[in-house]
Amino acid sequence: MSPRRSLRLLVVAALLAAAAVGLLRSSSSGPDTDPVRTVAGGLRCPACQGESVADSASPIAAAMRQSVAEQLAQGRSPAEIRRWFVERYGTDVLADPPARGVSLLLWAVPALALLAAGAAALRTLRPRRPEEAAGRAGPVARRRTPGSAAPPTPRGPTARRLWWVSSAGVTLLVVAVAVAAGQTGRPAPAAPPADPVAVTLQLARDLEGQQRYDAAAALYREALRDRPDDGIQLRLAFALLRADDAAGAERAVREVLARSPESPDGLLVLGLAQRRTRPAEAPSTLRRFLTLAPHHPAAAEIRRLLDS
Amino acid sequence: MTAGPARRLPAGRLTALLLVVTVGGLLAAGLRAGPEPSPAAGDPTPVPAPALAGATLDGGRFDLAGARGQVVLVNVFASWCGPCRDELPLLAEAARRWSPRGLRIVGLNLRDGPEAVRALLAETGVADLTVLPDPDGIRAVAWGVRGVPETFVVDRDGRIVARRQGVVDRAWLDRWVAPRLAAP
Repeated sequence: MSPRRSLRLLVVAALLAAAAVGLLRSSSSGPDTDPVRTVAGGLRCPACQGESVADSASPIAAAMRQSVAEQLAQGRSPAEIRRWFVERYGTDVLADPPARGVSLLLWAVPALALLAAGAAALRTLRPRRPEEAAGRAGPVARRRTPGSAAPPTPRGPTARRLWWVSSAGVTLLVVAVAVAAGQTGRPAPAAPPADPVAVTLQLARDLEGQQRYDAAAALYREALRDRPDDGIQLRLAFALLRADDAAGAERAVREVLARSPESPDGLLVLGLAQRRTRPAEAPSTLRRFLTLAPHHPAAAEIRRLLDS
Repeated sequence: MTAGPARRLPAGRLTALLLVVTVGGLLAAGLRAGPEPSPAAGDPTPVPAPALAGATLDGGRFDLAGARGQVVLVNVFASWCGPCRDELPLLAEAARRWSPRGLRIVGLNLRDGPEAVRALLAETGVADLTVLPDPDGIRAVAWGVRGVPETFVVDRDGRIVARRQGVVDRAWLDRWVAPRLAAP
């Protein structure tokens, strides 16, 4: 084997190895220690487009996570839980449904194409015997099927080079994709599974759903420490209002209104808080809210309040 | 003329051609077929309804198993869902019209707060609706609910005979509920 040829083989082997490592690394999901997240990650949110139950913020996905947690606590195995969900939502609920029928072809066709390309490459690249190189019907040519009895086309160095270049190109492409996938995938396991503020907010919303407004308000305060945001501040004010802390709600919402005096949600919460703290001022605040946002979802209710 | 084996397509090219035609055909078929219809969108073959029992919003108790012999309309709703709000008056009207003929309507209230629901019921004039709170949504998930609103018709034998994702209308109720009720 000439040194040049060995070098080429070495490069291709190195590229193939790199591609395999990259593919393996990008396909492994990383160390997921939370069992609820692991099971929920294997389920597709039925109310979303291409989001897993673990990642989706939709109420149904939240309910499904809760159901997973409850079933795990009851001692069910992840496989049993997956089956339970399939019984209710069909196989579509699985993030990686079993390949059947046409979807099986999706796996088979690329594999067959690879095999065919490999066979064709072998035929071109196989070292030729001298008599065959001379273009005569040598032993190799005679071994061919009678159907392709045409004289062997001159498979010159150009064809061979073309094969090498194209296979190296394809391998390089795979390496590039695998490395890129590895890099985009790498930060996920290192960083916490989700934005901590988003998790805090979700928890707070869940608590609000359970009417634990005091606890929800505490979580909103925690989120605000990490991320000052008027939206969160308004939710805090609303939670305080529902926790019967009208004075606290008023304080919280006034901070928002100091920055944006025309915030309809701010005026709404302020007006509702004022109904308890200083009822004389509430109607004018609520009327201002109605003027600014006549089509707000709460507008009808507020009109009713003002009329009564 | 030498129209013979020389003119024939070599086996390799024939395979490649077949492969391309097959893949192309598959892709075209996939594009034409579009997404599969959701299995839950239509009318299911009757399946036994999952259990549904617990304390109601007004402090009473509801058990679906105890409602055999009645047609039960289970409506999954929430106060934070606009379309649910629009749908409730129609359900209340159906309850008034058909309860003498054996219809029972139960609201499964998904991830909501009692105060918000009471306000919604009062606003939409359906204060007497039987509401089963489902604060964490586990009951709804056991029913395979995909979103709100969603409505199920449970027949006298406790089987789900129809379900609808999204808002129900009068025609749907006439088609799926009316025929299962006792004669007026």
